[in-house]
Amino acid sequence: MASTQGQQIELTSLTAQQLTQLKKQLDTELEHLTTSFQSLRTAQSKFRDCLKSISTGLNAKTADKPLLVPLTSSLYVPGTLASSTHVLVDVGTGFFIEKSTADASDFYTRKIGDLGESLKDLEQIVQGKASNLRVVEDVLRQKVVGASQES
Amino acid sequence: MATSVTGGSKDAPTNPRGIPYAPFVDKVEDYVTSRTEVEATLKSFQEMISKYQFMEVNTQRRAAGLKDKIPDIQKTLDTVRFLKTRKPGSEPTETTFELNDTLFAKALVPPTEEVYLWLGANVMLAYPIPEAEQLLDAKLSTAKLSLTNCEEDLDFLREQITTLEVATARVYNWDVAQRRKERAEHGGSITGGKPASPNG
Repeated sequence: MASTQGQQIELTSLTAQQLTQLKKQLDTELEHLTTSFQSLRTAQSKFRDCLKSISTGLNAKTADKPLLVPLTSSLYVPGTLASSTHVLVDVGTGFFIEKSTADASDFYTRKIGDLGESLKDLEQIVQGKASNLRVVEDVLRQKVVGASQES
Repeated sequence: MATSVTGGSKDAPTNPRGIPYAPFVDKVEDYVTSRTEVEATLKSFQEMISKYQFMEVNTQRRAAGLKDKIPDIQKTLDTVRFLKTRKPGSEPTETTFELNDTLFAKALVPPTEEVYLWLGANVMLAYPIPEAEQLLDAKLSTAKLSLTNCEEDLDFLREQITTLEVATARVYNWDVAQRRKERAEHGGSITGGKPASPNG
């Protein structure tokens, strides 16, 4: 009686075993998609953080204030900001681009926007899969109940 | 008659880090006098094995942490040495430092007499450069020493676990042999001549 949207298979025509298999498959897919969703979320929040760092740290005021510069994870040296106008952005695959603060903020805002889009799409897919899973579970339960009633 | 000292055990009862040696079972009769004691002995062996395994897991974790820290300490030490070299009145060095995961900023670092070391647990201290170098050197050698100790301990633990497993196997085999003997004697005395063949 229930048919999934993408596949158009009559679920009631499948045996209980096939249904369990299908449910397991949907389960793993859902898990993967949820983990990807979370990593995209974390990446997006990191870019938001970068945006904030640019705006708070690199303005005209901080240019001459004494600063503790991290040289390694546990070594700091007193120094000052060399440039309050330009920053280096890591764009991936070992490329670093020097940008002005305005460009860098723009870059990060765009990245955040792109990620937001992907997150929205992913969310749709996740919801679709979740509802498929629920339908399969329902049919499976009905089959099991029916089988136990017969025997 | 061999006593318990054969290949694998040395004379001291514990190794340098205080891990006790596992008893080496050469003659099972030394440990088990009757079949009733077998189960208790086997259980105590299993207990010892699990204790060693627990210690092994801990040591592995410690070794992994040390392996992570050592390259960090090395890098910090090298940087301090570099700072020492360009100390006397030169122009400030321009460096890029990490503000964030994908964000770096440029900074000017003038030659300075002191560096700040993050010691962990929300503690940061300022050190003059020679002292900092000494401290980092000491840290690095301690870490390297601990790492070698950990690896030694891991090997030792694995050895002891194998010894105990061999001992368990021996005691169990001895028990099976005893059971067979008893059944043979028992069957012989009751049926008087009918060969009792244990089906094992």
